[in-house]
Amino acid sequence: MESFRSLTVTQRDQVLVEQQVFDIFKTFYNLPPSSQSFMLELQRENHVEYLTKGLTGLGPSFCVLDANRPWICYWILHSIALLDEFVDPELEDNTIDFLSRCQGPNGGYAGGPGQMPHLATTYAAVNSLVTLGGDKALSSINREKLYMFLRQMKDASGGFRMHDGGEIDVRACYTAISVASLLNILDDELVQNVGNYILSCQTYEGGISGEPGSEAHGGYTFCGLATMILINEVDRLDLSSLTDWVVFRQGVEGGFQGRTNKLVDGCYSFWQGGIFALLKRLNSTKGVKPIPLGDGEGSGEESPQTTASSDAAGEEGLNEDLSLGGSHSEIGDQHNTSSQVNVIDIDHNHSKGHANVEPLFNSLALQQYILLCSQELNGGLRDKPGKSRDHYHTCYCLSGLSVCQRSWLEDEDSPPLPRAVLGPYSNLLEPIHPLYNVVLDRYWGAHEFFTKS
Amino acid sequence: MHGRPRKAPKPEDEAASSAKAQKLRALQTQFFTFHHNKIYTKEAVELSAKLLEINPESYTAWNYRKLAVEHYLNLPDCNPDSIKSVLDDELRVVENALRQNFKSYGAWHHRKWVLSKGHSSIDNELRLLDKFQKADSRNFHAWNYRRYVAESMKRSEQDELKYAEDMIYTNFSNYSAWHNRSVLLSALFEKKAGGFLLKEKVLPEEYEFIHQAIFTDPDDQSGWFYHLWLLDQTVTTDSPLLASSWPGHGSDVLLVGDRCYNGSAFSPFSALHSDSGSFPIVLYFNQPVGGVNSSTVTVECGFNKNEDLFWKPLSASNSQTARVWVAHLKVPSSDLHSTVEVSVGHSKGIISTRGFVYSHPSMFSFKVHVQPMERDSSQVSVAENISLREENFKVYGTQSEESIIDSFDQLIIKNGHETTASNWRFEALAKEIECFRELLSLVDCKIGKLTLARLLKAYDAMSYPFANKLVHSEEVLELYSDLMKLDPTHYQFYKDEHSIVLLQKVTSSKESLLQHCFQYKVSASSAICDPICLRLNNLSLSRMGAFEKLLWVQMLDLSHNELQSIEGLEAMQLLSCLSLRNNKLRSLTALEPLRKLKSLRILDISYNQIGDQSIDTTRYVCSSPLSHSVGSELNRDETVTSDVALINNWEAFFIFKDFNLNQLDIVGNTIADEKFKSVLVKIMPKLKQLDGKLLD
Repeated sequence: MESFRSLTVTQRDQVLVEQQVFDIFKTFYNLPPSSQSFMLELQRENHVEYLTKGLTGLGPSFCVLDANRPWICYWILHSIALLDEFVDPELEDNTIDFLSRCQGPNGGYAGGPGQMPHLATTYAAVNSLVTLGGDKALSSINREKLYMFLRQMKDASGGFRMHDGGEIDVRACYTAISVASLLNILDDELVQNVGNYILSCQTYEGGISGEPGSEAHGGYTFCGLATMILINEVDRLDLSSLTDWVVFRQGVEGGFQGRTNKLVDGCYSFWQGGIFALLKRLNSTKGVKPIPLGDGEGSGEESPQTTASSDAAGEEGLNEDLSLGGSHSEIGDQHNTSSQVNVIDIDHNHSKGHANVEPLFNSLALQQYILLCSQELNGGLRDKPGKSRDHYHTCYCLSGLSVCQRSWLEDEDSPPLPRAVLGPYSNLLEPIHPLYNVVLDRYWGAHEFFTKS
Repeated sequence: MHGRPRKAPKPEDEAASSAKAQKLRALQTQFFTFHHNKIYTKEAVELSAKLLEINPESYTAWNYRKLAVEHYLNLPDCNPDSIKSVLDDELRVVENALRQNFKSYGAWHHRKWVLSKGHSSIDNELRLLDKFQKADSRNFHAWNYRRYVAESMKRSEQDELKYAEDMIYTNFSNYSAWHNRSVLLSALFEKKAGGFLLKEKVLPEEYEFIHQAIFTDPDDQSGWFYHLWLLDQTVTTDSPLLASSWPGHGSDVLLVGDRCYNGSAFSPFSALHSDSGSFPIVLYFNQPVGGVNSSTVTVECGFNKNEDLFWKPLSASNSQTARVWVAHLKVPSSDLHSTVEVSVGHSKGIISTRGFVYSHPSMFSFKVHVQPMERDSSQVSVAENISLREENFKVYGTQSEESIIDSFDQLIIKNGHETTASNWRFEALAKEIECFRELLSLVDCKIGKLTLARLLKAYDAMSYPFANKLVHSEEVLELYSDLMKLDPTHYQFYKDEHSIVLLQKVTSSKESLLQHCFQYKVSASSAICDPICLRLNNLSLSRMGAFEKLLWVQMLDLSHNELQSIEGLEAMQLLSCLSLRNNKLRSLTALEPLRKLKSLRILDISYNQIGDQSIDTTRYVCSSPLSHSVGSELNRDETVTSDVALINNWEAFFIFKDFNLNQLDIVGNTIADEKFKSVLVKIMPKLKQLDGKLLD
């Protein structure tokens, strides 16, 4: 025992981060309510400005991202879409042209014109184009060639390679399967043995690692789980241990860590938060409705009784968070009926309408972390206090925020209650499709387009 | 991309970095010219190195270098020395690139590729890794590469364990090091190399080691997760086991064609009403297995051919693996007294999802008595109104107690092969339990409580075949109740665990189980033996469990609990009457396990929350045409020919179409309006009673 020093490097770093985060929270709680609600406000305009600037021109420090240019497009376009904004038509055209130049003659998208096609950038490019939407963007994707590219990347073992001669990992499997599914070109050849590969990456902790033998990791767990859902083999995973693992990745700061005993990082708001969005649907329902696409029938009847008194709602949400609640309704709600069985005249309170589903993580605490610790007031979001903003973190913090705001909902078609949205109700972001991380209505647009063609 | 140390740009740096960008652009243009024209001159190759030093993520450049290397190796004048120098160059370029960005996938991959050529000395690699792992001890690229290198140079696991140990002594919070330890030990266990490597020797030492970390700082996560792995290693047996079966070994099964039967020699526990001319044999394994079929499981009896038996997995998905397997034995309609012998796993082929072979062949036998079936349909089909009212239940045990308890004993399955638990496992667990009780007496710690609860539960599970009581269940329940209060964020998780332990406790001994067994007795009934109802009502259960002990149950009362899911209930193949009244079921699809219960006739799902939310939206989670698993088993014609109303009530159709219900109670759910009820009647033409009203 004496062989260990009292505080490890890891623990020192953790303490420092906690101090920083708690200082922010303390300052926040000592503010008058009006300033509090300002601090919790999502700085939409500033974010959009920061993002749009990134799309037109980037400084020289972005050299290192030169092999990831479609990613920059995706991070920015998706963030803008989450904020329910649009890019101007000229910029849109330029983006489509640029991405077309990244598209290889034999299918797939490269990190930039002239480079070789790569699965990750293919995912980024396809998601960008789906996010832009419209015939021009969607028809610019050469699906036949892309399919051939995916087949080429398929390894005999079942996994995928990132690029010709590149590494095989869970990322590659997810990006390949996600793209194929989104473009409606997924078939048995692509699916074959992918499940075995993902399965070999689930660790004893329950999460999924990048490659066999490695340790469980938030990003890979999302990728692995989403892949297994897309190929319809999710039941092969040990879902209960996976849930165990992800539940304990949320820390005292409210945000998520990516791996055991690592520091909190805003981007895991989506990688881990998105896992909850997937698990929620898996748990609440196992059946699938073959419905005619287009006009979903479950929508509409829930009126947005939500728009009023948004500021007050923000505070209410916060108080609940302070008491580490979210679950006390569950505790107080037990029926204290005696051992009588056939009591017909019990007063049942389940007809009161919107009974929401308890999320498996503390959604308000995560929103608080994103808004107070990850958000930069003059635009952009970041990993943690002390780090600087970037497009990657902006994209995944906002995606995570969108997931949080709907974490109580079972039905994605109706808007969430004000108390589920921390801060003013205007913070509400567009809903995403959690398997692909594209904004939901853009997904439907693409879905319609690619099922027709 | 993320997590890389970032420096705030200083104004004086701006000019420099802008110049750098200019340079990069020029380099890149030049590089693409070389690449696309397949030029591999010295100058060209050096240029790609420069590019990679600035931007290690340029995977195209890494591939170009691979092509260049291949080009050199294929030159006619290439000799071992020149090959080595070419490859050494590559290693140098990678090292420089990693200095710039040690999270570059391309760079690490290139290094592996170079080494796989087999011309370079691998000894330098560990030195290089030491450097990188000092700089970032959690870098998973470096750890992956380390595992690769150790394997290629056939470095012993012991040496690598020593390395992990050193890393842990430097920083016991380093979970990557703990993780690598678990990977190494797993490999050793698998090899079973050398006597001292056996779990028996290694695991107690590992427990000692982890205690140092945990006791030094109980708030540090790393140790706890490693501890969880150790616990798993201590308790799990690799090979799957048969946990229980129905009918149980040595039992007498009486099959009757009518609900009433004669013969007081038989207890109601083993009498089974059957109107289908068959009865199920249920195998319950301790983990999901595949490969159960008539060659791996043989059933010998006078009235069925083994080859005719079809074994079916019972699981929520359509996978061919499950914990529970069922086959139906057809019985002749004449008088019959026959012995049935079932042997499981005498020929290999049953295999767990983790790839372990079933290696404990076991056998059980039971007697079947068939009373002539009364085929007179007019008599059988009289709608009998079963109502689980309080006044219809009698506490069990007033009459013929002995014979009942004897037959009850037969329900408890004893594994023929005794147990796989060995003394060292008990000792290890007992020691851990003591240790954590001590820790908790010093500090109040959630994860400590959770770990202690897990240890106690594991200890009880292991000792169960010997002891007939779960010694620690009270303590475990208390720990989970505490945790629910201490850690409300994870309330539901603890609640579920609590429910399962509670069920294990209830089912652990015949005394406790008999307290929940009631005779269902309607005054008008003339039956000598009345059916037994297991009543697990009002226990505030949020989850069902202990199915392996409940395979015999035909009447089950789960009313007034907090069930949101009834996952696993499909194992209870004999269920004919089930009450889920007053629970928290939220959707019709939550009833899916019931689709697999072919004998279910009476179902009460009244006063749940079905329909509180509008329709499920899994449709967009599973948008891929390949994802339509549940729907795919559906006959297309069915959907097309059915009424429009059915299409609007798709879920109801999907769930109820397979039911053979006589009686259904659904009142007190938002969904259950008159319109919906009329749809139900259409879906289930055999239904005789709905919400207490007789149907025409």
